[in-house]
Amino acid sequence: MNIAEWSGKFFLIAFILYTASFLGFVLSLTGRKWSNRDPQEHTRRWSRMAFFLSTAGLAGHLLFFFSRWYIAGHIPTSNMFEFMTFLGMMIMAAFSVVYLIYRTPILGAFAMPVGIVILAYAAVFPREVQPLIPALKSYWLYIHVTTAATGEAFFAVGFAAGLMYLLRTVDFGAKTKQARKQQRGVEFSLLVILIIIGFIGSIFAFRSIGYEAQFSRQVVTIDENGKEQVATQTVDYVLPPLIKPYNSETVQMQPFLGLTAPLAEAPSWMNGVNAGRKLNTVVWSIIAGLVLYGVLRLALRKPLGAAISPIMEGIDPEDLDEINYRAIAIGFPIFTLGALIFAMIWAAEAWGRFWGWDPKEVWALITWLFYSAFLHLRLSRGWQGSRSAWLSVIGFIVVMFTLIGVNLVIAGLHSYAGV
Amino acid sequence: MGTVLCESCGKPLYDDDGTAPLEMRYDGVARRSQKANPTWIDKIWNFFSSVKVAVYLIIITLCGAALGTIYPQENTFLNIDPETYYRETYGLSGFIYYKLGLSHTYESWWFIGLLVMIGTSLVVCSLDRVLPLYRALSKQQIRKHLNFLERQKVTYSGPIAAPEPARAPDAQEWVERMASHLRKKRYRVYTDGTALLAEKNRFSRWGPYINHIGLIIFLLAVVLRSLPGWHMDKHIGFPEGEIKPIPDTPYYLKNEKFTVEFYKPEEMSEQFRKKNETVPKLFETKAVLYECTANCGEPGKEPVLKEAARHDILVNHPLEYKGLMAYQFDYEMKPVLLSVKAMLKNKLTGKAYGPFLIKMRNPQTVYEAGPYRLQLKDYYPDFDINEQGQPVTKSSEPNAPAFIFLITGPDLPQQGETYMYFPRQIDKQRFRQDDINGATGSRFDITVGSMNDVEVSNYISYLNIRVDRALPFIWTGAAISMLGLILGFYWQHRRIWLRIDGDRLTLGAHTNKNWFGLRREVAAALEKMGMKVDPKSLEKR
Ligand code: HEM
Repeated sequence: MNIAEWSGKFFLIAFILYTASFLGFVLSLTGRKWSNRDPQEHTRRWSRMAFFLSTAGLAGHLLFFFSRWYIAGHIPTSNMFEFMTFLGMMIMAAFSVVYLIYRTPILGAFAMPVGIVILAYAAVFPREVQPLIPALKSYWLYIHVTTAATGEAFFAVGFAAGLMYLLRTVDFGAKTKQARKQQRGVEFSLLVILIIIGFIGSIFAFRSIGYEAQFSRQVVTIDENGKEQVATQTVDYVLPPLIKPYNSETVQMQPFLGLTAPLAEAPSWMNGVNAGRKLNTVVWSIIAGLVLYGVLRLALRKPLGAAISPIMEGIDPEDLDEINYRAIAIGFPIFTLGALIFAMIWAAEAWGRFWGWDPKEVWALITWLFYSAFLHLRLSRGWQGSRSAWLSVIGFIVVMFTLIGVNLVIAGLHSYAGV
Repeated sequence: MGTVLCESCGKPLYDDDGTAPLEMRYDGVARRSQKANPTWIDKIWNFFSSVKVAVYLIIITLCGAALGTIYPQENTFLNIDPETYYRETYGLSGFIYYKLGLSHTYESWWFIGLLVMIGTSLVVCSLDRVLPLYRALSKQQIRKHLNFLERQKVTYSGPIAAPEPARAPDAQEWVERMASHLRKKRYRVYTDGTALLAEKNRFSRWGPYINHIGLIIFLLAVVLRSLPGWHMDKHIGFPEGEIKPIPDTPYYLKNEKFTVEFYKPEEMSEQFRKKNETVPKLFETKAVLYECTANCGEPGKEPVLKEAARHDILVNHPLEYKGLMAYQFDYEMKPVLLSVKAMLKNKLTGKAYGPFLIKMRNPQTVYEAGPYRLQLKDYYPDFDINEQGQPVTKSSEPNAPAFIFLITGPDLPQQGETYMYFPRQIDKQRFRQDDINGATGSRFDITVGSMNDVEVSNYISYLNIRVDRALPFIWTGAAISMLGLILGFYWQHRRIWLRIDGDRLTLGAHTNKNWFGLRREVAAALEKMGMKVDPKSLEKR
């Protein structure tokens, strides 16, 4: 086997170990009530094993990372697959750091799946090693990307702790207006996670059956001499086209469950064939997420938040609040350094300007302003507990929008290839 | 609300028999913004010193910045008319976006106004707090009021344990031993009889202020860039082999050679090769920078140039010279004739004279070729014949250069003879050089020996020329800000106060962050003293 194959195997092994570790953390808590055992001893034993598994997973992940570095000849963070796997790795590392400080097994049950979903998301993107274009040949770029991802990984751990805080403290039985609002908020956050899982699931499902459709579109542009130029753009769909690009022709389309033609066309302001494809992907993800939610909801016969919350029994919410704040406090300086300062240094070197109001840059700034508002509110206005938890959940949504949404919705200099 | 705690003993000045945790920010000292009867200056001061206002400013800036990313900003396009572009490309919503001024959000008065207000707020807020905080921290009393200790977020009270069961506990000795444990934990310990104050990492309290100072410097540097001369940003095309001036500077730059390389298939991974894409590997401009020492920009005079720097400009590797930076930006493949080394041939005798160099840009006016003298009467860099049948030039670019010479010398009339010369073969035929020259053409010919005598530029390399004198301040601000963040977040200011009354210990502890760590440290210290407590139980709810 050559190194490239080994590298792929390491990734798979890491993924499996992480998943096993996640199950270990969950069982360390849900298994407390199993017969003939001391609950505390059970949690201690199982969580120690789960942490061992996650550490082994991290080791496998590092092997993947360094072997790929060796093959590519450059740090593997230069396309979406590589960046997301790196982010996943840093989330696991950030989790390990915070876990070693606080030793709360429940954190594993929530932070591990965040990392796992990110890794699964990474696997959606083309995996081949790509040659580097000149703009990406800069050490500062790698320092920028890796440091920013490290900061974001701590925000991810803060998110996990914030969500746990909410699941622990929201009273799922209460019927007051305030409680209802909180319940709905928790359900909505969980639904967003399911939509992301729905996205990953539908891409993999249709890819495995080899689904394909293709559209083309004529684009007329006026060149510098005032002549009309007609170019044909084509786009391949991996998901069955519910929505086709604006003003496009079907080149070919496999029927899917009786769907032989697209149901609708993208609106005219969504210019370009890729906009249509992205919209189609978003619609599919939402449908898949809603279906997943519906199935779970029917199976559990209660809101998901209410179904998950018993696992939190006996956990001190103050600890969760502390972990939430601490993770963000550790992450904030790293994020500032990576996403803003190093980004400015790289931009100054590559583009000759330290700041250009590129959408990705702006969203990094927005993320930073958001977390700085969080810190000020917490320090000076006493926003602790559930307010802090909500801000941390929203903050991570902003982070994810910066990483994924901006590429999906707004294209900028940084845009990596999409699905 | 002014000072809430007695500055030295910590006894609450109001509500002094309550039990709720105390307000410990700035150790309860008054700030300027808390004056009783504010004047209008005080009111402005109060506005900007409020963290609530700061958070609003931050949130509004955040939302404004987000609005600017809905559609691309105007400056991402070269040569568009925004009035029509946004309407045509994005429809009605694009038009509204443009009309609201959101197509240049980041240059708009309100956005810049927000940044200025944040800057003001940073200055006022820091001044308002840093002095009281400094005062409170530099004169601390060791023996605190009991109520102060019991109302800390971390507090403990109980009988002290004796070192050996046989002896009665001695308060003085107990405090000494506690002090030595705390010193091992890098606390600075002060004792006053049976009272103790242990403190560490006070510097971490200055972290936020250092961070704010960094941000202020950064914002000021950004403002500086709008002063004339501090900032320049131009895109200039440099054809190979030509020395071109850089406007508004004493510099000239020559692109000696431009190279573009693409990845070869064997350099790509197997999977990627299947995609059949070409990927550029390298853009390089071999550049020489000259400084003009005399005759700069004076028409008709050759500027005197001195080589200043030489650099191979790559993406990510700009040329830098005394604050002037040249970045690789773009390139264009466009063969342009630069100069020829020509010979004047007398067709009658078969003799050739020369060579002499004819440049397509700023050609000399007189050439010597053996006994002959060629005087340039007219030059059309981009020759054409207009509708009236007159010769014109379409542009100043040497796309189709044409020279009209007046030749004088032996066997020629006194006033000379005119001769039209097209260096490019294609133009020579298209405009029928031989017919135009008539009889003169049958006597003379201007020829070029081989391709070695022709200098051609194949590429135009577009460089982004920049001057940004604020950069050092930007980096200084960023570095100071980062230093402040690290100090503020990775260390915490911890204080432990205790006093013993009889054999009863009362302890209170405070930190600005990471209570978990503080509780653990206090519990560990008490355990060393033979008092086992669960860290969690120290927490006052
Ligand atoms: C709008 C003007 C601002 C004002 C008035 C302001 C005010 C303050 C104040 C009063 C503190 C508390 C210091 C203390 O009690 O020890 C603080 C802390 C802090 N500020 Fe600001 N600030 C402003 C803007 C910013 C901005 C734009 C940032 C960007 C990151 C920032 C970052 C911080 C940080 C990181 C802390 C420390 C927070 C913590 O320790 O949890 N501030 N700020």
